[in-house]
Amino acid sequence: MVSGSRTRRKVVSALRMLAALMLAGGIYTLISPGAAANNAPLSAAAQEGKELYASCISCHGENGQGVPDRGPSLVGVGSAAVEFQVETGRMPAAGQNAQIERKPPQFDTNQARQLGAYIQEQFGGGPQFPADFDSAVKNGDIARGGELFRINCSSCHAFSGGGGALSSGKFAPSLAESSARDIYGAMLTGPQNMPVFGDNQLTPEQKYDVIAYVQTLQSDVDPGGWGLGRFGPTTEGIAIFLFGMVALAFAALWIAGKS
Amino acid sequence: MTEKSRFEIVREGARKDGIEIVHYESQFAPGSKTENRMVRIVAFFFLLSGFAGLAFVAAYVWWPFTDFPSVDGWEYAPGNSPMKGFTPILGLTLGVTLLALGLGILTWGKKLMPHEIAIQERHVGGSSPEERKLTGNTLAFIGQEFGLSRRPLLKVALAAPAAGLGAAALAVPVGMLIKDPHHPDIFFTTGFNPVNNNGKPVRLMREDNTYIRPEDVSVGGQITAFPATADGHGASNKYADSPVLLIHLRQQDADHLRGQLQNHSQNKLQNPSDPNSGGMYGNLVAYSKICTHAGCPASLYEQQTNKLLCPCHQSQFLITENARPVFGPATRRLPMLPIGLDEEGFLYAKSDFGGVPVGPAFWEKPEA
Repeated sequence: MVSGSRTRRKVVSALRMLAALMLAGGIYTLISPGAAANNAPLSAAAQEGKELYASCISCHGENGQGVPDRGPSLVGVGSAAVEFQVETGRMPAAGQNAQIERKPPQFDTNQARQLGAYIQEQFGGGPQFPADFDSAVKNGDIARGGELFRINCSSCHAFSGGGGALSSGKFAPSLAESSARDIYGAMLTGPQNMPVFGDNQLTPEQKYDVIAYVQTLQSDVDPGGWGLGRFGPTTEGIAIFLFGMVALAFAALWIAGKS
Repeated sequence: MTEKSRFEIVREGARKDGIEIVHYESQFAPGSKTENRMVRIVAFFFLLSGFAGLAFVAAYVWWPFTDFPSVDGWEYAPGNSPMKGFTPILGLTLGVTLLALGLGILTWGKKLMPHEIAIQERHVGGSSPEERKLTGNTLAFIGQEFGLSRRPLLKVALAAPAAGLGAAALAVPVGMLIKDPHHPDIFFTTGFNPVNNNGKPVRLMREDNTYIRPEDVSVGGQITAFPATADGHGASNKYADSPVLLIHLRQQDADHLRGQLQNHSQNKLQNPSDPNSGGMYGNLVAYSKICTHAGCPASLYEQQTNKLLCPCHQSQFLITENARPVFGPATRRLPMLPIGLDEEGFLYAKSDFGGVPVGPAFWEKPEA
């Protein structure tokens, strides 16, 4: 009996231990965020984006960790940065240069958003476009935007948004082709060497104001000639003045010689 | 008689050169009424020139004007020009000096010099010693024909523009040595000096007079900050030398800069265990926006390379090495504004750029 009761006690304590371990493990599995995220299903858009991400793997790595000397990590960059880079055609990049420039995009807007959704959901979130962007952006105040533009943007992009030179072959691009989403995404995420203008610094409303102002600049059409970043066709003016004056002087001499 | 014979020599010499003086005649009979009138006109112009030159000096020294726009007159209003006619009066007097001198010389040349027609054949080769002697005589004759010895009034009158112009040319450089043009301390203090905030430390603010919290600047972002002075004009021209660029560096860049700052006694950590005891607050750092080369706003910030560019002459400052100039004409670092956090959670200036003058070099600027 003694030996029998000892055996039974051992079995009972082993079972108790097993139950405790299973309980602890189960709770851990339930509340652990990492494990949960890995298991969480991707949204439909992100699933589509996952397919498209094949184009990005060679430089940014399978898990968005980046590849040394090729591409930076995408962990935490957020969907806004992805949409800006892809929609302006900067990504996928053609090569490693001083600056990666705007070119015809390889993916359409929908695909860019799917890629953004995938990187947002899979590699840790970052800045995102507001859900009501397309309607809210129409409420921008041009006058206030002009003030903000002159304070925050004009030092690099020039007063007329024509852009300007930076160091070692880099430059602030012209804003002539930038869409509202491009401008918003650039301010929010600070692509390449552009400083970040987070929502604490320029609220979404202030960003809409800046966009409204830039769109006004864009709708201003140069009257003709070489615009020199909205400075005006001064080169043509000088040429006309110099050549025209010389021509007139010779005409006067010719007339005087005739008489 | 010497005059006559000298002219004959000149004519003979000219002939030897193949030059025939076919016509030579004074415009007015020497000593005639008309000539005297011309002499007086020339003398009048010279005297006018001399007086205008002296007037320039007098205006430069005594004309009232406001020394510095920041003392008063920084705000534009009609008639509230800081110079109050100073520049126009300088331009007017110097202009009259030069114009009258020119008119005097012109009149002299046109009216008092004889009319001459000479015809010369071209020749080859150099001139013989004899010819050179003749040429010397010719020049002496021309000097004589200016008639300074015959017209002593002109000699005296010429002294006037000489004195006036000379004084005008000397007034500016000598004046700067006599009167220090720099307002006391104006280049040594900015709006971040507690003097401008009733002795209390000055907070950083945006252009719309709102204070700045550390979280308002995103990582990789920057913001232009102004001194929140008691008079509420911190973001105006009154404190035009004060704006700073407040930059939020990335962690590793900020660590690098903190390491660099250890060599700069001004902004290094006072307490090695407290990262906020130096010139930086967290990963935030503020540098003067006024380029040390020519005073332009250096505000083109590259967030990946951490370079700050000045658009005027392409100077570049490397922020992570305490704003060391790495390219372009600037030779001095941008001064750092040491910042801290006050009890209400707003950024403030711990001192006025640590006493380092902002902006371009000037005569009394100490070596930093």
